[in-house]
Amino acid sequence: MDLALSIKQKQLRRVARQFAKTELAPIAKEIDEEGRFPWEAVEKMGSLNLFGIQAPRKYGGAETDSISYCLVIEEISRVCASMGLMLAVHNGVVVHPIYQFGKDEQKAKFLSPLTAGEKIGAFCLTEPNAGSDAMAIESTALREGDSYIVNANKIFVTNGGVADILIIFASVDPGNVKKGFSAILVERGTPGFEVGLLENNCGMRANPVSSIILNDCRVPETNLLGREGEGFKVAMAALDSGRIGIAAQAVGIAQGALDASLKYAKERIQFRVPLAQHQAIQLMLADMGTMVEAARLLTLNAAHVKDQGGDLAAPSAMAKLFAGRTASKVASLGVQIHGGYGYSKDYPIERYFRDARATEIYEGTNEIQQIVIARELLKRGEE
Amino acid sequence: MDIIVCIKQVVAGDRVKIDPRTYSLVRSSEFSYINPFDLFALEMAIRLKKEHSGSITAITMGPKISEEVLWEALTLGADRAILLSDPQFSASDTLATSYVLGMGIRKIGKFDMILCGMRTTDGDTGQVGPQLAEELGLPCISAVEKLEGEKGSFRVERVSDGFREIVEVSAPALLTVSSKTAVRLPSLMDIQDTFTRNSIGCWNLEDLNADPNKVGRLGSGTWVEGLTPAAQKKSCIFIEGDAREQARVLLSKLIEKNLFS
Repeated sequence: MDLALSIKQKQLRRVARQFAKTELAPIAKEIDEEGRFPWEAVEKMGSLNLFGIQAPRKYGGAETDSISYCLVIEEISRVCASMGLMLAVHNGVVVHPIYQFGKDEQKAKFLSPLTAGEKIGAFCLTEPNAGSDAMAIESTALREGDSYIVNANKIFVTNGGVADILIIFASVDPGNVKKGFSAILVERGTPGFEVGLLENNCGMRANPVSSIILNDCRVPETNLLGREGEGFKVAMAALDSGRIGIAAQAVGIAQGALDASLKYAKERIQFRVPLAQHQAIQLMLADMGTMVEAARLLTLNAAHVKDQGGDLAAPSAMAKLFAGRTASKVASLGVQIHGGYGYSKDYPIERYFRDARATEIYEGTNEIQQIVIARELLKRGEE
Repeated sequence: MDIIVCIKQVVAGDRVKIDPRTYSLVRSSEFSYINPFDLFALEMAIRLKKEHSGSITAITMGPKISEEVLWEALTLGADRAILLSDPQFSASDTLATSYVLGMGIRKIGKFDMILCGMRTTDGDTGQVGPQLAEELGLPCISAVEKLEGEKGSFRVERVSDGFREIVEVSAPALLTVSSKTAVRLPSLMDIQDTFTRNSIGCWNLEDLNADPNKVGRLGSGTWVEGLTPAAQKKSCIFIEGDAREQARVLLSKLIEKNLFS
């Protein structure tokens, strides 16, 4: 079993690391404080193919393997979790399901602008009364001639404020959501499309998370992704694969929190020696480093399973569950190492602490991951 | 215009480990990267190629793991990469290294210009470029910041001791580069393409037809007798007085240490 990265994977990681260091590090604090989406970085990200990391070459993607995808998302999130999230959602649950489930005409129309970063994607499942319980959606898409009339109230939409192409989950049969659950591609600017208020979240503040409201939006039937009634399959496949990206994002946040803590522990003098020389601090750093490494290995394992075409449900849920908890725990220990300064906006650790918490909630809460994992374990026979 | 760029894999400053027996650097791939000055040389080569067309060959001497920096050079714009690697090359000082590089370049054959970084961030001797020029009998200009010209004849700007010197040179020549222009970051697609299209040529002692007495420890004119960390003494001075007085004292101290002119 070879756990070493290939030279190519390391070179792909280098691009993301270098970009994050030179372009995102100088603005990460500011865009978090201002809750501002950094358009100035978007064009550069597009030219580096960060909007089409794994998408096929034919549609402008770089067509990397899933391991490299994780390395890229980790490096971006290590410096700026909001942009890591933006890319993980765009690539993982928008671009990916379009090339997995899309018809050729849909791929031709939607993928190229998405992979170039000219258009940004969003994934709209959650509603006021549906989230973990996806089947409780109330959005509808009623057939009228060669169109669907879509009515939807979607909330907590990552990238919502800037998204141009959105996958909307709605039922074509309001009487039977289970049968009618469908995925429909909707473009910003369609009459009846409205971006609601931006969420005032505690973390990931540079990501314009918003509600999306569709009022009698007429969408051509050619925008149906997959078949009618196949939406749940599209959503679950997107999430199984997307969770690997969120796990990678959580690993990046944890690594960033560890980086900041190591730096601080070497600089800060207490009792006439750097903090790093106190055993109590060393114990925390050791736990943090071990957890980050374990989370990274679980995440890369899930990516490896995906590349091998294996069953993703359990490995990706395990990676996401463990990496999300790791991000929260490591960032919290990081705050502890920083002491009073950890609670202050003067140091980046508080941002990691706020950003980390979301990774235990979105793209399936910890508890949903546990349900998926338990179901998979119970399904397996004795080996 | 055919350009050869000599590159070296260096270890990140805070990750340097020294073998206590041989006093040589312990190399690991995780914390190694292209010597930053060599990146400036590569950038200059990329610009020259853009203006005059031609090809860029990156060359390095080192163990197998040095392939990584050659791949990096290829992703950044080199067209071809050669690794000079043989167990007998280990423990080469700058003289032996220059001989091996020289033999590699002789085997490559045709070139108009050789570009090297002015120095490396680990060994820091600044000798390999000039010694390689000597080995190949080429004119050498060091600390080059700017290069302009037509095929065959070049106008070179170098900076030294606070002077900007303009030098004319005709090809073939060797320049050591001290400009600080960064190389453009490749895209993920560029990297994918690089790995699909390229391979790394690897030449050993026999391939180079090199004299075993001129490489490694045998071929070295110098060897390291001892190695101890240089004590870095840091002291802190507190400047008293009001802001104006503090600024005055600070300025005089900076001038005294030649840090402000």
